[in-house]
Amino acid sequence: MMLYDAEVQKVLDKIKESNAKTVCIQLPDGMKPYAKEIEEKIREETGARVLIWLGSNFGACDIPLGLNKMGVDLLVSWGHNIFHKKMEGW
Amino acid sequence: METLFLEATYSGTVELCPETISYLTKKGYTKIGLYASVQFVGKLETVESQLNELGVTSVTSRPDRTHVKGQLLGCDNYHNSLNLDKDIQVYLYVGDGRFHPLALVYAQKDSNEMKEIICNDPINKRMVLMGIEDICTILKKYRGSLVKFFTAKMVGVLITIKPGQEQFKPALLLEKKYLDKRFYYFIDNVISFDQLENFNFIDVWVNTACPRVGFDDQEKFVRGVINLNDALSVEEILGKESVFNKKIQ
Repeated sequence: MMLYDAEVQKVLDKIKESNAKTVCIQLPDGMKPYAKEIEEKIREETGARVLIWLGSNFGACDIPLGLNKMGVDLLVSWGHNIFHKKMEGW
Repeated sequence: METLFLEATYSGTVELCPETISYLTKKGYTKIGLYASVQFVGKLETVESQLNELGVTSVTSRPDRTHVKGQLLGCDNYHNSLNLDKDIQVYLYVGDGRFHPLALVYAQKDSNEMKEIICNDPINKRMVLMGIEDICTILKKYRGSLVKFFTAKMVGVLITIKPGQEQFKPALLLEKKYLDKRFYYFIDNVISFDQLENFNFIDVWVNTACPRVGFDDQEKFVRGVINLNDALSVEEILGKESVFNKKIQ
């Protein structure tokens, strides 16, 4: 059993609502073993192409760059909520 | 491109383990600062009622970079980031791992006294205590880097391009404050530690990416590293009566 709620139904709803064709999923290290399960569920239920982010997921400050160039319509990032950046520094 | 954040809330029960309850009772704490990582922060009702039964008042705050009250991020590791304006006797952190609660230790390094941090891990149902001894080795090296920065002539400033981290403009304050130093700006996506030594003309580094890099990754910087906000107030940090100056020599 997954220790954390992946809320996959929320992802499916969002993909359908936004008509996303290419989706990138970014998981924290503890959830990366579930990438297969999540990827398959999204692909089967929505037909969207799923790209699994290989790299880091340190926080909501750590969003992959350049995904637009790959035609990614939606990024789903687990393990964090909205990050409030302080423009004046740390 | 849209971004959907999902908190990955812990699926199990979030409560105080017997060890935490008996420790709180033994110490007689009556006022605590309560924080949790995002996976647990929305499920603290049981913890709050357990504290209530013990006669313990809990207070909390919304730290600078978080989205909800009581949430703790590893990067809110400077005292003023917590925005906690009430007196407490101890911190209680609910969650697993060391990364987040260590932010509460770092946040107190420039204070006059260190309050202990009780970490209640709801997954493994155990309690761990944290304090200055957990970061002594890192802070000793950090002190060395602060002193080094003070006399350094050639300073490498590390800037990362992630939207949540990029701090180029705040870093420019350095050259206004320190007219006797020459600052070189380095840009990267994630800091490439293995590249640092190629730039052998640098005396010391200033980190503007995640502030935890300046502490937790101190060992990866042969020439030392300090965080930007500390670089902007080195004299003040080294001169004040603080846990950092009393315990770390």
